[in-house]
This record gives sequence, structure tokens and C-alpha cells, in this order.
Amino acid sequence: MAEKKDKKVLGPFLRNISVYLIAILLAFAVFSVLVALMGFDIFRALRTLTTTSFKSAFGFQETIKKTIPLIFTTYAFTIPFMIKFFNIGGWGQMLMGGTVATVVGLSLAPLNLPAVVLVPLLLISGILAGGLFALIAGYLKAKYDINPIISTIMLNFVAALFVNFIATAPRFKDPLEGHPITIPLPKSATLPFIGGIPSSIIFAILAIIFVYILIKKTRLGYEITAVGYNLFAAQTYGINFAKTIMVTFLIGGSLAGLGGALEIMTIHGKLIEGFAKTSGAQYGIFGILTSLIVAGDPIGVPIAAFLMSVLLVGADALQRTMQIPVELVFLSQALIVLFIVVIRKKFSVRR
Amino acid sequence: MNKEIFVELRNVRKVFGEVVALHDVNFSVRKGEIRGLLGENGAGKSTLMNILYGLYRPDKGQIFIEGKEVKIRSPFDSIKLGIGMVHQVSTLVPEFTAVENIMLGTPEDKLTLPLKKESKRIKKMAEDLGFEFPLNVKVRELPAGVKQKIEIVRALYRGAKLLILDEPTTSLVEAEFQQLLKSLKMLVKKGVTVIFITHKIREVMDACDSVTVLRRGKVQGTLEREKMSKESLVKLMFMEKEIKVNESALPKVELPEIEKSKEPVCVVKNIEVEASEKTPGLKNVSFEVYGGEIFGVASVSGNGEKELAEAMIKPSILKSGDIIINGESVNGLPTLKVFSKGVFYTPEDRIKEGILPDGSIKENVLLGHHAEERFLKRNVFIDWEEVKKVSERVVKDYNVFTPNVEIAIRKLSGGNIQKVIIGRAFVNPIDFLVTHNPTSGLDISTVEFIFEKLVEIRSKGGAILWINEDLDELMILSDRIGVIHKGELKGIFNRDEFDKYKIGLLMIGG
Repeated sequence: MAEKKDKKVLGPFLRNISVYLIAILLAFAVFSVLVALMGFDIFRALRTLTTTSFKSAFGFQETIKKTIPLIFTTYAFTIPFMIKFFNIGGWGQMLMGGTVATVVGLSLAPLNLPAVVLVPLLLISGILAGGLFALIAGYLKAKYDINPIISTIMLNFVAALFVNFIATAPRFKDPLEGHPITIPLPKSATLPFIGGIPSSIIFAILAIIFVYILIKKTRLGYEITAVGYNLFAAQTYGINFAKTIMVTFLIGGSLAGLGGALEIMTIHGKLIEGFAKTSGAQYGIFGILTSLIVAGDPIGVPIAAFLMSVLLVGADALQRTMQIPVELVFLSQALIVLFIVVIRKKFSVRR
Repeated sequence: MNKEIFVELRNVRKVFGEVVALHDVNFSVRKGEIRGLLGENGAGKSTLMNILYGLYRPDKGQIFIEGKEVKIRSPFDSIKLGIGMVHQVSTLVPEFTAVENIMLGTPEDKLTLPLKKESKRIKKMAEDLGFEFPLNVKVRELPAGVKQKIEIVRALYRGAKLLILDEPTTSLVEAEFQQLLKSLKMLVKKGVTVIFITHKIREVMDACDSVTVLRRGKVQGTLEREKMSKESLVKLMFMEKEIKVNESALPKVELPEIEKSKEPVCVVKNIEVEASEKTPGLKNVSFEVYGGEIFGVASVSGNGEKELAEAMIKPSILKSGDIIINGESVNGLPTLKVFSKGVFYTPEDRIKEGILPDGSIKENVLLGHHAEERFLKRNVFIDWEEVKKVSERVVKDYNVFTPNVEIAIRKLSGGNIQKVIIGRAFVNPIDFLVTHNPTSGLDISTVEFIFEKLVEIRSKGGAILWINEDLDELMILSDRIGVIHKGELKGIFNRDEFDKYKIGLLMIGG
């Protein structure tokens, strides 16, 4: 009996670690085969992919720059996913947050407000924009049982076109640019880099703390967790499902919106059509991938987002230094997720 | 009548977890008869037939078909052996037509379905039984009675010589039942054997050549048609063959004499719940439950007892009528508000509605109490220290066998899970407990423990509404028993009037 117990305590941890290790090894194996087939040096490619982030200050800064928005879009997917709904709209919510923050910043520019006023104002408008935009999907699900996958995908198009609309609006457009880009935000509406690291990292850390407290310590978090565990029991004991749906989308969207505002205020300083992308693909998709890696557990999000960014930086380096297409890295990232999902299922389906 | 045995089950035993669903059952059916299989919910009827059909595997026992022993590992085997089953709930593909459904999976060796050719044959088969149904309409659009006919034809098309019908009348109106009867008689003439599972005595009397009665997983007896009577069947269904307390598998718990409260704790006045396809709802139900009283509710499952339980904690489902707790109406209140009036609930399906399987014992104890001031800090944060303290007390007071309260509740046994659910109900002193089948599927010592807890609450002056599928249990521990049939309260018996026969008869609408 005692022996059995020990196994049970050790079991889940070892099993979880081995799931990740096996999945990553398998994905890297496939990656290596493809790299070899294309005639590149496998070892150099693997080394570049995994170590670029740590070999130079620049590599590390780049990694953090990608990690921050990724954390936000990962939460955008993860929190509704706790109650088994797919928010595919993290990207759209991020775009809305960034765009509305820009509109507020540019509109208030003539007033010459100080940073202490302007920065919080932009952040709040980003949060509200992302949250309310996601709430549309939550509301449609709660009231009319419309699948959030469909509504959030559709709303992504709305958001992308809204960015274009603002970035080409005569009031905001930068007349010197051919591409849809607005004039820059006033300096007091932007956030600085500190030692090459965007100061938006502070808000990312705050968001991590916020999510942790929300899920682990509050009544609302308990209700979300309970619905995720067993909807019927949660309802039987008085938890309001419709409210929980709307709240999870609201929170997820708010975080994505905050991420969007921060992206504009630190990285770009103005609204650019096609922001919220990395290595040519949008952060929403990477957020979903990252969330699936941690199986929708909000506590694992920051680490997973960082590791994902390491691979993204590595991918850029591969393209630059070895002319290996980034798509090959995307492919192995997707494979990591697939392998994890499959291996995890294999471990757990054993009744 | 042909006396040759078609199918025989010998010493079949099936155990689910801690519960023996079938105790070494012997059961045989002659070729070409309609055999009733009668019993209450949970008597083991469906389990026995699911074993014959290959959906369950017996833990012990043999199956013989026409004298030869056979191994049935899945419905695939049983279909090959000529056994067909029509389940209570339609198993047809809604988007397929009758012909497509009937042919589904049949010509295993061909790539194409000879739909045209076969639909003529299917039409003929149906007509021979007096069935008429559209062959080329999606079954989604057909009523339940028609779907059942399609399922019967499907079984025959696959070559069934034995047809098992599981509660076939659940969704039929009287005329459809009569029609079904006629068709079954025609089938029998062609040499097909029929097993008819039901809990309705009248149907057995109308339809069957003989009947086997099951009770608590044991065969109570088999009667030929000439010996069947309402009285004899009720007796077999609800009473022990001989009263042997030791074998009856019922706990011995005394119900002490105590004073009831003067005012009722709960008043239910003319409540109505909308009927639907699945339920008769509730029609004009009124009763009171006093402090220091256990009010039992007896019914055959699916007669509105589920809605009664639900209405008590979720009064918003009421169409009309009042529920009054301690003198205050709770109409329209959400569940947590009802709980705040001193009410708590333990649901019928403990896994599906009762627990958060992956949640810890702590998280499970909190469920339903999560809005209470004592478990909150500044109204927003959960006081997990307090939750832990309370959970540890539940584990101790209710003898939950677990190393600690952090463990996921799904790792506990059924009995221990139920103890947590019951313990959760008494985290606070409560005035009124609504509990639905709290003992179902539990071993006798756990049942006894739960009985003792109910008596304890009653002794403290609490009121208990106890909806239970097991009449024997109700009779041991209730002060009064109300009987619900088709959504109506058919009668209330005082303890000195308890009579198994009378209550049983009311339960089945007799």
C-alpha cells in the first residue's frame, strides 16, 4: 500500500515532464529530418533554434519582446478554455485594444496631458476595448447558444478591418506613409525601454499575478474552476453558467486588449496595420498553441509563453543566418503541440 | 405451446463497484413466447438483458442458446446469434432514413448499399407485422413510436430470433401500445421469441405469456399467464418472498419517537412544473414537511420526482404554486438564495450533479457554500484556511476514508464520495434537507451510516424531504410517505398506515 502511494505522488509529475520531453524530442526529430532533407546542417540548425535567445543580450531582449504579447493572447484563450470554450479571437481583441488605445491617445494629444494621466487612460481603454469586444462572443453564447469559435473568428475580421479603418482615417493617418499607419502617439502616451527590455513587462507580471490570484484565491475564480470541472454540479449548487461564460470572455478579452495597448505604446508608438504579429504570423494563433501546451492551466502560461518565444526567436535566426524558412519552425511548434496532446491522451485514457 | 428452451442464462452475476447488481441469476425463455421481465428501477432487468445483448460482461455465469453454450463479448456477437435489442432510447441515426438505418452495417462485404432492392424487402417485412412507416424520410422527423417500429424491423432484418424490448412503452400512447402488442403476437407466430422489460404490471398482464420478476438483483419468481394477477405481481415486485431480515440487505436503524414542530418548515402549495417529452412534470402538488420529520417520497423513476427535487432548490422552474420555507416564500429565487434560508440539497446522480471530479475534497465541500460570509474575505476572496478546517471536520465526522482533503475526489469510492456530499449538506446547521436517492448503489454499512445521519438531523428538529427509489428504505425511516405518479401526489401515508402493497400499487398508478 505504501509503495503504491509513493507511486501516486511521483507519478503525475514524472508523467507530465516525460510528456513534454517526449513531445519535444519527437518534434525536433521530425524537424531534423526535414532540415537534413533540405540539405542543411542539423546540429547547427538545432543549436541556432534553441540557443539564440541566450547567446546575446539582443537575443534575450527579442525573446522578452515576444513573450509579453504572447502571455496576453495565451490568457485570452486559456481563461474561456477553463470552462471548455474556444476563444479564437485573442488576436482580434488585441487589435481592438491597441487600436482604441491609439484613438484615445491621438485624440487627447492636443491637451498635452502628462504621462501619469495619459498612460493609465490608454491602458484602461485598451482593457475595455478588448474585454467588451470579447464579451460580444460571450454574450452570444450565453444568450443565443452561438458557438464562440464561429463568433470569435468572425470578429477577428471585424477587428482587422477596424485597424485598417483607423489607420487610414484622414484624422489619424500619417500622410507620409504609403502603408496604413497613423501619426505617432505623443511621447507622454508611450512606455520606454529599460536596458533594452520593454517596460510593458511590468504589466505582464502584474497580469500574471492578477490571473493567479483570480483563479486560486477569489470566489469568481472558484466558480470558473467549478464550471470547468463539472458544469452540472456547478449549476445544481447555484453557480450561474451564463454569467460565468460572459465573465471568462470579458477577462480573457481584457487581457488581450491590455496586451494590444502595451504593444502599441511600447513597441510601435503608433498604430500600424498588421501589428500584433511575429515572424509573419499573428500572436493569437501562438497564444492558442501555447495554451494547448499547458492544457489550459493558467498557472503554466508564463513559462510556456517564454519557451514558445525562444523558438520564435530561434526561427527568425534560422531564417537570417541559415536561410531555413521560419515555416519549418512553425511546423515543429505545431508538432510539439500535437505530440503533447496525443501523448497526454494516451497516458490518461487507461480506465 | 412449444416447450423448447431458446435461451438460458445460468448463475449470472454482475457487480458494479461495491454493488451487486445481479446475484447468481438463472433465467430461461422458451421459443416463441412473450416473456415479461418485471421489476422496479434498479432491480437488475436492464443489466441482465444488457449482458445477454453483449453490452456488459458478466462477472460469472454462462449463457446457452438452443442448448449450446455461447460467449457473447459484444452486440456484434449477439446479433450474429440472432439476438436483437430495442433500447429505451432510440439508437437510430437521426439524419438517415428508415431504410438507411435498417441497412446500416449489414452487408459487410459490399462497397455499395443495394438500397432500392432491399427497401422492397424491408417494406414487406414491415407490412407483415402490420407496421407502416415512411421508408425515405429522415427519422429525425418521425415520432418516437414510429422510430421504435423501425428499430424492431431493423432487429428482424439482421436476423433476430430473440427480440429484447427495453421498456418499450415509455414513449408510446395507449393506441400505439395496443398496436405494438398486435405486432408482437404476429412475431411470435412466426417463431420469434420476445423478452419484454417493464415496470408496469398492467402491460405484463396484457402482453406476456409468462413473467419473471426481479428484485434487488434476484429472481423472485416466474409465473405463467394463468397464475398472473395484480396482487401476485405486486407482491413479488415489492416484497420479499419470505421475510428474512438478514437476507433482505436492509440496514436496521431505529426511528426514535420525537415531537414534530408546530409550524411546518416547508410548505409546498399547488406547485406545477411543465410537462415535456421526458417527464410528466408536476401537477398541483401540495404537502408540508415539519421539523423533526422525515417526509419520504416514493415513485417509479420518471414520474416527476426529479422535478420535485429540482423545484425545491430552483423554484424558478415552477409554472405556478408556492414553496414556503420557514414562513417565507422562495418563489423565483436563485439556488444560493434558497440555500441561505437554511435549505440544502444532495442530488440524485452523485457523480454527474454532485461533485467536481477533478476538484479536491476541499473544493467539493465548498460547493454551494461558496457565497457564504464565513468562507469569504472581503466578499471577494475565498478563505481557504476556513474551507480546509471545515473539510477536515467533514472527513472526520463522516468517516471519509482519505489521506487528506487535498486529494481529487474522484479517487474516492462511491460511498466516500456520497459521505462528502452528505457532509457538505451539514456544514451549517440547516432547517431543511432535500435529498434524492442518497443511498443508491451504496453498500449496506454506508447506507446504515447515512440513515443514522438522517435520523440525527431529524432528532435535532430538522425537516427532511427524502425522495427515494427504494420503497423498503423509505418504510424504515420515513415518518410519512407521499406517493407520486405521473406528476401527481396520489396519497400520503402515515407511519402506522405503511403498507407495501398499497403504496406499491399507487406507485404504478393502480
